[in-house]
Amino acid sequence: MATARSTPGGASRGRRAVWVGAAAFAVALVLWYVLTTLTGVIGSARFPSPPEVFAAFRQLALDGYADGRLHQHVLHSSKLVLMGFAAAVTAGVPLGLAMGWSRRVEAFVNPIFLTIRPVPPLAWIPLAIVWLGLGDAAKVMVIWFAAFVPSVINAYTGVRSIEPYLLEASRMLGVRGWSFVREVLLPAALPHIFTGLRLSLQASWTTLVAAELVGAALGLGKVLNASAQDIFPAMILIGMVFVGIAGGVMTCTLALVEARAAPWRQG
Amino acid sequence: MSNIVFDAVTRVFRRDGKDFPTLDGISLEVRDREFVAIVGPSGCGKTTCLRMAAGLEFPTSGRVSVGGKEVTEPGPDRAVVFQQFALFPWKTVWDNIDFGLRNKGVLEAERRRRVGDIITLMGLEGYESAFPHQLSGGMQQRVAIARAYVLDPDVLLMDEPFGALDAQTRTVMQEELVRLARKNPRTVLFITHAVEEAVYLSDRVVVMSRRPGTIREVIDVASVRQSENWDRLERIEEVMDQDSFVHLRTRIWKLLREQQAPNDH
Repeated sequence: MATARSTPGGASRGRRAVWVGAAAFAVALVLWYVLTTLTGVIGSARFPSPPEVFAAFRQLALDGYADGRLHQHVLHSSKLVLMGFAAAVTAGVPLGLAMGWSRRVEAFVNPIFLTIRPVPPLAWIPLAIVWLGLGDAAKVMVIWFAAFVPSVINAYTGVRSIEPYLLEASRMLGVRGWSFVREVLLPAALPHIFTGLRLSLQASWTTLVAAELVGAALGLGKVLNASAQDIFPAMILIGMVFVGIAGGVMTCTLALVEARAAPWRQG
Repeated sequence: MSNIVFDAVTRVFRRDGKDFPTLDGISLEVRDREFVAIVGPSGCGKTTCLRMAAGLEFPTSGRVSVGGKEVTEPGPDRAVVFQQFALFPWKTVWDNIDFGLRNKGVLEAERRRRVGDIITLMGLEGYESAFPHQLSGGMQQRVAIARAYVLDPDVLLMDEPFGALDAQTRTVMQEELVRLARKNPRTVLFITHAVEEAVYLSDRVVVMSRRPGTIREVIDVASVRQSENWDRLERIEEVMDQDSFVHLRTRIWKLLREQQAPNDH
């Protein structure tokens, strides 16, 4: 993206890329239609046809499926993701910054952190269920674990990769205390922090779907689980598409926040 | 009085249990409002000298003091201009220059006046709200010099400030620095390995030996500048054309040549 912007004619090249992408999408849609509805090469029990998918979408949006309508599922899943993500980031970023800045904090926290880190987030699900049952709290806890690790690691890396001469310049200018944290440490680490947030967000969605598959009252994972049990491929597809859309919207929002928070990084 | 005094300063690096002396008995006084340049082969420890005056490094033995006070930590009374500019990428030109004054607790109105003045003096008008990455290397270094000058420091420590600039920009910046230094004299310690730059800018040039660094010779430029009246000349190339300039330059070149190891030429 950066190179496209900095080369002359980058804008037109970017526009061409959009057209090529749209064309590929159109080809895929046509192919889908031809292979299912038109010729029946792929049977509808294996992969749904476009009209079936549209019908499933209507059903989910208007009548509801798996104890809720589309917007209820999407909102419920998004709420859990946001809660787990926010809790993980609020704890993880300051911890990562502190570990990056202070050898003492690092020495204290690192052994515990390194022990927990290799455990895949999904492996926490059984423990979360034992502690908190099948409700939302257990899911938030598992998401928290998934999102916590990348936000810590990247905030830590952010501090460690600050150019030493910037730290020397700030000492020379007499920057101290809170002003140092807010005006030097945080902005210098910000690119890495945002990388961490992006990875945390992705991990949150992955984990949420898995956690909802195990058991949920509402949510996109529940839609996926119910449609699998009903052998309803069109609905499975709709569930997948909306997991993608909801995750994508959050990732884009995060990118907008980053552009706002770090205007100096625009080339 | 704000002089810089190096008193029998040595510096030893320890690596793998072995001692590597980098500076060996440096004694030097940069007098109040004097412009002193240190030249020397790479690795001779000239940058270490500057960093010790800044309080970013410390001698193994001996003493470095500024204005009679031993240097114990960095501070805005000893402003540093770094070779890599070291501007804060997330701050605008104005905020970069203003940052040090704000930390010193200077009042808003006075800050605005002083930052505004230095921006005019350094020819940075119109770039106040630009971010460093939007500026050329020469402009960034102007900001870095402005950021140091605005603090009204006792001493100014410049570590190869023009090393990263192209030849033309470098020339312009050298002329501007001379203009600034005449208008607003400061005690300056200037590190460079460009001999012409050293002779053009300074009152005295210190030639260092190769590692472990010692002072090979101190050359008085100020008296030649005065007797030959270089200051009447506007441009750097006119000064560099003077026989007196060429003579000094050649002499320093020869001293530096002698410092080169026989196998690195």
